[in-house]
Amino acid sequence: MLMIPLFILFGAMAIGCAVAMVAQRNPLYSAISLIGVFVSLACLYLTLQAPFIAAVQVIVYAGAIMVLVVFVIMLLNVEEEVRRPVRLHYLIPVSVILAAVLVAEAAFMLKLGSGAGHVEPVTQPDSGVGLTASIGTGLFTTYLLPFEVTSVLILMALVGAITLARQTRTPLAAVPGNVDASPSELGPRGEVLLQPGETAETGRAFARFQIEHGEAAAPAETKGEGER
Amino acid sequence: MDWLSNQIGAEWARAIAQFIGINVGFVVVLMIVAYTVLAERRVLGFIQGRLGPNRVGPGGLMQPFADLLKFIFKEEITPSSSTRFVYFLAPIIAITAALMPIIVYPFGPEVSLPFVGRFHLVIARFDIALLYVLGITSVGVYGVALAGWSSNSKYSLMGGLRAAAQMISYELSLGLSLVGVVLISGTLDLNEIVVQQGGWFGLRWNIWDISRVPQIIGFVTYLISAIAETNRVPFDLPEAETELVAGFHTEYSALKFALFFMAEYVNMFTVSMLATTLFLGGWQGPGVSVFPWIGVVWFLLKVSFFLFLYIWLRGTLPRFRFDQLMSFGWKFLLPVAILNVIITATIMWLRL
Repeated sequence: MLMIPLFILFGAMAIGCAVAMVAQRNPLYSAISLIGVFVSLACLYLTLQAPFIAAVQVIVYAGAIMVLVVFVIMLLNVEEEVRRPVRLHYLIPVSVILAAVLVAEAAFMLKLGSGAGHVEPVTQPDSGVGLTASIGTGLFTTYLLPFEVTSVLILMALVGAITLARQTRTPLAAVPGNVDASPSELGPRGEVLLQPGETAETGRAFARFQIEHGEAAAPAETKGEGER
Repeated sequence: MDWLSNQIGAEWARAIAQFIGINVGFVVVLMIVAYTVLAERRVLGFIQGRLGPNRVGPGGLMQPFADLLKFIFKEEITPSSSTRFVYFLAPIIAITAALMPIIVYPFGPEVSLPFVGRFHLVIARFDIALLYVLGITSVGVYGVALAGWSSNSKYSLMGGLRAAAQMISYELSLGLSLVGVVLISGTLDLNEIVVQQGGWFGLRWNIWDISRVPQIIGFVTYLISAIAETNRVPFDLPEAETELVAGFHTEYSALKFALFFMAEYVNMFTVSMLATTLFLGGWQGPGVSVFPWIGVVWFLLKVSFFLFLYIWLRGTLPRFRFDQLMSFGWKFLLPVAILNVIITATIMWLRL
């Protein structure tokens, strides 16, 4: 009874956010619109009586993956897109034709499948086994192999990203101006005084680096890093 | 619900009851949060050897209203950047994500209200309540990150990114420390978890339950993760005054700052309620089976204990450095939470 207005509402929200995501110039607004799309999809899952999938959609997609995307946009300071003039003019009629083909296909599929009846809820309400339990059981008995393979795949992606992003350079650069292996600042009892911006690790690591590379002189072009 | 159901149908009766419950809960939570701010200032004062604010009203009890008036009448200074939409959106996300989880907490057992009959003192009962809380907590990170970025100032950006990184790191150990409770309860429904902790004069609370698996490791992990999640001392580097001016809410003034401030305290209240519900037995206590309304009193007493613990920690501990904080979260707390899950699951499997 209430399902049709709810479906129209959440569907319109999803489509509106998706159009906003593509049409926005500022990348952060696109990211926020994408979060709106995911939340609308979660609401649509709720109308299909799949609350577990809705919650997991919010937790994983909107709450973790999009946080990563937002972090990247903020850290890299991605700028607004500049509107460039349209160069390839033939693409406009081609896109209109292809969009019409897509709509025609979708209408055909809807017409074809409209006699199949409405979607049944995934759980049987009288069986006492909720959606979470049935998903868990299925995931660890029938679908165990895809589950484990997917986890290995995600681990591969993680390790690959870390390996690609790792830079092999000198381990903790010292603060410029204090690059001596024998520090000039000694305290009243002969202990080493740390300069501001330096931890004990910095001094030891730099000493190790100098010993390994046999440099007696201070590398003057060592750039000072911020805090680690 | 009987009389009302007979008038307008069961679904509409339940919707109206939930609507009234939401309004009552909203007002109650905001009042509790306002007085938590006052309590924090007073208790911190006592810890530090001074009195807190005690001028406004008897013993300072009208101080929250004075603060509210101040916030309303302050001048709103908006930075002149091009991201005004996000600047206005961030405190809205923060306060909404902080207030949304309160609908699933059971405040008391089943009571008989005069018009509506038997009624569980929960606003919304559904069987994935715990996942809902975790999901809304995940969305609450955006309020902080977007606030930091849209303020167009380097202090805010650094503070916002640090706070968001800290929040998403400790969310993992938060979720994993709750898995132990879910394992021994067999359900994600918070009302069900509280009901299972009844009887035996409080010896069946999840924290020290011998008949199932005692969740003491999970409790400690959860508490530490919750304190880090809500950016409280000792994990409050992103908003410490001596570090980054005021962190991600540097450029916010008047009412928007009040929204962030309130969002932090509502978050504190929410995680205290979750700790009470999952580990300390919720509304269970002596006398609940005889007189159900006393369950609300026990619930509020336990939540107040957690709030006092938060304030106590704030007055006592120094704060972590950011790299210490991150390494503690990833290298110690996450393995301990996973270990808790493994131990709980192993003990349960061996008993079956």
